[in-house]
Amino acid sequence: METAQAIRPDDILKELSAYWTHLGAGDSDQAQGADNQGENGGLLRACSMTLICFADDEEEANLNETLASLMREHPSRLIVVRLRDGDDELAARVSSQCWMPFGHHKQICCEQVEVTASINRLADAASIVAPLAAPDLPRVIVLRSARIVRAGALRKILRLGDKIIVDSSRPGAPGFGELGGLLDAGHITGDLAWTRLTPIRALLAQLLESRKPAVIVIEYVGREAGPESRYLQAWLQTALPDAFISLRGHGGSGPDDCGSGAGKPTVVRVDKDLVIRLCPGGAEYDAGNMRQRASMPPGTEEQLLNEELGIVVHDRVFERALNHITA
Amino acid sequence: MTVVTADSPLHDPLRFHRKTPPCAVVIFGANGDLTKRKLMPALYRLAYEGRLAPGFAVIGISRTAMSNDDFRGHMHDSVAKFLEDSPFDEELWRSFAQGLFYLPGDVNDPVLYKQIAESLESIGKDHETGGNVLFYLSTQPSQYAGIAERLGEAGLAKGSGWRRIIIEKPFGHDLASAQDLNTRLQAHFAEEQIYRIDHYLGKETVQNIMAFRFGNGIFEPLWNRRYIEHVQITAAESIGVEGRGAYYQEAGALRDMIQNHLLQVMATVAMEPTATFSSNAVRDERSKLLRSVRILKPEEVEANAVAGQYGPGRVGGQQAVGFRQEPGVSPDSITNTYAAVTFLVENWRWAGVPFYIRTGKYLPKRVSEIAIHFRSAPLSVFRNSEDPGENVPNLLILRIQPEEGISLKFVSKRPGAGMTLRPVSMDFNYGASFGERSPSAYETLLLDAIIGDATLYTRQDMVEASWRAVQPILDCWSAKQFAFPNYAAGTWGPPEADAMLARRGHTWRTP
Repeated sequence: METAQAIRPDDILKELSAYWTHLGAGDSDQAQGADNQGENGGLLRACSMTLICFADDEEEANLNETLASLMREHPSRLIVVRLRDGDDELAARVSSQCWMPFGHHKQICCEQVEVTASINRLADAASIVAPLAAPDLPRVIVLRSARIVRAGALRKILRLGDKIIVDSSRPGAPGFGELGGLLDAGHITGDLAWTRLTPIRALLAQLLESRKPAVIVIEYVGREAGPESRYLQAWLQTALPDAFISLRGHGGSGPDDCGSGAGKPTVVRVDKDLVIRLCPGGAEYDAGNMRQRASMPPGTEEQLLNEELGIVVHDRVFERALNHITA
Repeated sequence: MTVVTADSPLHDPLRFHRKTPPCAVVIFGANGDLTKRKLMPALYRLAYEGRLAPGFAVIGISRTAMSNDDFRGHMHDSVAKFLEDSPFDEELWRSFAQGLFYLPGDVNDPVLYKQIAESLESIGKDHETGGNVLFYLSTQPSQYAGIAERLGEAGLAKGSGWRRIIIEKPFGHDLASAQDLNTRLQAHFAEEQIYRIDHYLGKETVQNIMAFRFGNGIFEPLWNRRYIEHVQITAAESIGVEGRGAYYQEAGALRDMIQNHLLQVMATVAMEPTATFSSNAVRDERSKLLRSVRILKPEEVEANAVAGQYGPGRVGGQQAVGFRQEPGVSPDSITNTYAAVTFLVENWRWAGVPFYIRTGKYLPKRVSEIAIHFRSAPLSVFRNSEDPGENVPNLLILRIQPEEGISLKFVSKRPGAGMTLRPVSMDFNYGASFGERSPSAYETLLLDAIIGDATLYTRQDMVEASWRAVQPILDCWSAKQFAFPNYAAGTWGPPEADAMLARRGHTWRTP
């Protein structure tokens, strides 16, 4: 379906329904009524949530690939809203994504609605998206559109979802101030910059469990601490209020830097006796007489989103850290 | 992902896993198949996910002469080969392998246990394991008691940290031998130190039975004799004994599957709800259920238990040999490769509801499932309908493998004029709702043993109760002359199994 300017959500839902009837034709005829229905062929319409992604139209080509990969862990009704500048534009089309899990006999399929809109039709796009959400299931917004942030239109989309996920380390993403505003308004919020820290925080939690550190220094490369470094500092400070937690940057690569990237944490020094080097792919530290390595595969956006999509309740640990930064 | 205790200020319950304490795992039978295919890949995978504490160590023990480096090399190759659904990270392996050690020796030789004690002492210091040790007996079952006794005599059953011992099934070959094994184990290890592994209970879908029953309010009111007509539990394998003929000849399907795995599954399906999800609360209820299973009288066995043995047949377009033609199997073997039993549970919830359990080799497909057959609607409102669909009872299928999930079968009106009904299916598919990787049963169970959570392990009273349930059948079958083979490879078992259900007006579901 490619229409201009006016789109009725009912029509999209009808089209989705017809789409499934078409996909299921043949399979259902042979399977229905049999006791072993569904175990030899056929397809399964899977939906555990509504995932709404707002992206700019010129968004990199791998967005679709990332979203498609997410469907395997979080089968969803996927609604992608692509925003562009310029003309008064609004269009929508439906499609589906199917895959055959290894060793299985039945395809799993998820449905997708793609809405293209000019930024001045954002409110219309939002009014189309709202009725398309699958009932009784979580609705999660992934915000990748800098246009929405620039236009100050964040609030226009918030009511569409139970949770909003951003990546504050992306150019044009909402800053800590805006994220704090979302928290204050009671929205469930996720930030992939925080999600990236999970393996590092988990390792630190274990290494620090039986000690009471007095001083912790988080080192990063560059002049300005990135969101990850700031989150790490805020998390440690809120969890260990009696400790002194500081951030230290150095202009060039330090001796312990192994290519984490500007602004990102590279080394965590705990008092004078524990040094944890954080590198892409893993961390190294000494335990007993052994040099230990903890595997930390660099989180792809898909993996980070997978983790966030698994949490559709208020994440109090994250919220405490964010509040600490914005206080 | 690493873990911390719940009261740590750094704990993040939404994102971190349970804490595992530092420890050393001592594996007896470290050169065996189970270690290579299951245990070491599971431990490596736990390391990959950061679930093991820093300094985690393994001491492998077997008769084969090997150095630490040889052992590490063998384990490297095994893990790289048998690791499922996971990438193999060489750098992580190097770190993991620092914790692998090997001791060659004879498990009957007391000197070996002195060496184990010395190694544990040294590793405890270097790796800061806190004196925590998990002994894993991956050996011949006949060696379990002897190893436990020698560990006890060497003072290794106690130490500065916790000491636990895992044994694999079979736990005895009948009730008397199970009791004897237990007596010898408990002479040195307290019951709470003994972890009897039943990998079936570690399967995600078996654990999901409890989530399904006790996490939802709508099913439990129906979960009783008033609404359930009967229950069928099937564990079918589409292959033969695959080179394990010699072992299998001594065990048979009843001992190998029903006495342990399937009775545990039945107990999980039929047990009463627990007040808490603590280890002993769950095991108490499982045990209570198993003790409620009606013990068959000798004269009742024939009508309620069917033994089978596969003969030659066509499987997947190829000729399959019969069991008696398998390597290592006696040409006049009377081992059962198929067993079907009707169990009755004597309590208020289940009185009169038959639980049919069947398992076998060389059945038409590999499938494990539990089918709950509900009673038909009390009144046939659509009796004028000519559609037989209206008489189809509701079925709830809990699929363990493959296509893990849950299906509910019910009837629906066929579109169009008139009132004709047709059975349809409402499906929940694990893969469709949770794409994430499920841990292997051994990952789950090893982690639980390290943490000290015995919920998914069987307790001695459960083992004895399940032996009691099958003992009369074993006794009768050992004295009976069977006309084996009585089913062809690639078929659903002997006709006597169909007759067993027909006597109660039931038929086996075709999975």
